[in-house]
Amino acid sequence: MRNRSGFIVAAASFSLLSASVASAAGGPAAGKTVKVGVIADVTGAAGVYGTSQKNAYVLAADDLAAGRIDAGGAKIQFDVQDSASDPAQVVTLTQRFSGDGSALLIGPTLSSEAKKADPIAVRAGLTILATSNTAQGITTLGPCVFRNSLAEEQVVPEAVARAVARWKVKTAAVIYGDDDQFTKSDFDIFKAALDAHGVTIVDVETFRKKDVDFKSQLTKIASKKPDLLVVGAFQEEAVKIVVQAKQLGLNAHAIGGNGLNSPKFIELAGPAAEGVVVGAAYYPGNSYGGNREFVARYKQRFGSAPDQFAAQAYAAAQITARAVRDGATTSEQICTAFKRLPVVQTVLGPVAFEPSRDVRAASAVLQVKGGGFAYFK
Amino acid sequence: MILQQCANGIFLGAVYALFAIGYTLVFGVLDILNLAHAAIFMAAAFAALWLTASGWPLPGAALAAVVFAGLLGIGLDRVAFAPLRRRNAGTLAPLISSIGAAIVIGGVFRGLFGPDERRFPEGSFAAAQFHIGPLTVGALDLIILGVALGLMLALSYVMRATPLGRDIRAVAEDRVAAALLGIDLERTIALTFFIASALGGAAGILIGLQYNSVSTDMGGRIELKGLAIIILGGMGSVTGAVVGAFVLALVETLTVASIGASYRDAVAFGVMFLLLVLRPSGLLGKRALRAA
Repeated sequence: MRNRSGFIVAAASFSLLSASVASAAGGPAAGKTVKVGVIADVTGAAGVYGTSQKNAYVLAADDLAAGRIDAGGAKIQFDVQDSASDPAQVVTLTQRFSGDGSALLIGPTLSSEAKKADPIAVRAGLTILATSNTAQGITTLGPCVFRNSLAEEQVVPEAVARAVARWKVKTAAVIYGDDDQFTKSDFDIFKAALDAHGVTIVDVETFRKKDVDFKSQLTKIASKKPDLLVVGAFQEEAVKIVVQAKQLGLNAHAIGGNGLNSPKFIELAGPAAEGVVVGAAYYPGNSYGGNREFVARYKQRFGSAPDQFAAQAYAAAQITARAVRDGATTSEQICTAFKRLPVVQTVLGPVAFEPSRDVRAASAVLQVKGGGFAYFK
Repeated sequence: MILQQCANGIFLGAVYALFAIGYTLVFGVLDILNLAHAAIFMAAAFAALWLTASGWPLPGAALAAVVFAGLLGIGLDRVAFAPLRRRNAGTLAPLISSIGAAIVIGGVFRGLFGPDERRFPEGSFAAAQFHIGPLTVGALDLIILGVALGLMLALSYVMRATPLGRDIRAVAEDRVAAALLGIDLERTIALTFFIASALGGAAGILIGLQYNSVSTDMGGRIELKGLAIIILGGMGSVTGAVVGAFVLALVETLTVASIGASYRDAVAFGVMFLLLVLRPSGLLGKRALRAA
């Protein structure tokens, strides 16, 4: 794996050599090189997400080279390193990027990893841009910790409101992973949203990461006959939950958060995914900020449609390029530039940062229809 | 609902059992713990998936993948265990080399297929559901249970009533004495690995089908459970492993049904701990394989 990421770095820097030629239109940082350390779980348990992220930076490096992303004549060099879903390796890589001249750290992939690793970078004064950490309390880890991913609390309430209104939901059952920051906060956020609409929660079931058999929990839920099944899970588990729910004859409408927003979810769950509503930060069908070209070229290059993780990573490259274009080349300057960032057109849509360093963007409520995501109406 | 939960537990137990008997067979014969068993489990699932995706009908693909798993097992023995056996390396060195083999196999398959989860092509297996009284049962669940029980019976027949079974039991009893009596040691061990790995491979294919999910880390999920099952059943005891598998699966399922999934592993392993305190050599005692 080290070889592979080494290759990516080599490929990135090679293509970026021609970048300065392609977009010679000089900004204040023209001719300078900005090194960006990227930590992604390319292999291991979270490999599905990290691979999407890595792919997005490969594509972004190409697009910077070709001038499709404008960095004002500066070079941005993404050093993508695989943390192999191992928190210890995330820490090691964070230490490395804190002392090797990187001006920005993008990553790590999971919220739980971020909570361990970010404080190290914060102490070293390294600016952080999280692209996939959606748990609560990420940007409060330091004064220069940003994120461009909409948190669950920014997407779930809207999705719940629409589902409750549309399906006249009175009762709901929740199944969520109780050993992960993300899925755990999913439960709190869904519960708050359901309570706000006066929906009775008739059953709460839990599971563990990597579980494959959810039939006991779903048998219990089925016996309570809820109107709505809330799935607080990552894509891997969510697939099996919706499939096994169908197998057991549980016919409630299903709803989930960002964890389900992936073409892979539909591909793996097949017909069982049909009708599932997902509160999400990215709609692959949007036409903002070069998204159509991004989707087309991603498909062509990697053979599958980009998911939310890829889009958020690519948007991070777009945001970083914008800050560099305005002259930011050091960690401190990037932090300041992010704080003053005007609205940037990204593949996620128009994006800016709140004073809390969380992202300001519109959420999308999607529904699986005919084997793809569509807006939930 | 309790009936449905028991059915859930039995279907789960069948797959656990299939995985665990191959695991325990190698231990019973060679006194070594083959930690690459889970890697072969995964490799077979991928082989079946790949063949199905390239147009093979599922039964043919599964059969070929089972043979592939068996051959992989023989290769594993040649590379990771035989050289150590010749040097009388004891039981710890093979344990480590089997971990190494597992890492290599895992790496190769990740390189070939990537970290993504895969599924069998649409319509390659029966998706029908039956309603028997209050029970909802999938056709696939029944097939899996049938195949698992069939393979277990076949293994028990081979062990009891064939010359090969006699050889395997003799080698398990005393390797040196068996060799002195003219049993071809290396051939018997190779065949043991073939059978054990083929069974592990069958478990991989079946579990991949049951959850319609095949991924390079699928072995990790079942490895610890398999180890717990064979200890509970009595190390080396095939029947014990089967009983242990159903006990674990039922305890797990009923814990989730009555207490909640958060306590599932705590309760399951707690029960196992208690059983082992009462019967330190496992449910079916020691060396049951040799008596089989």
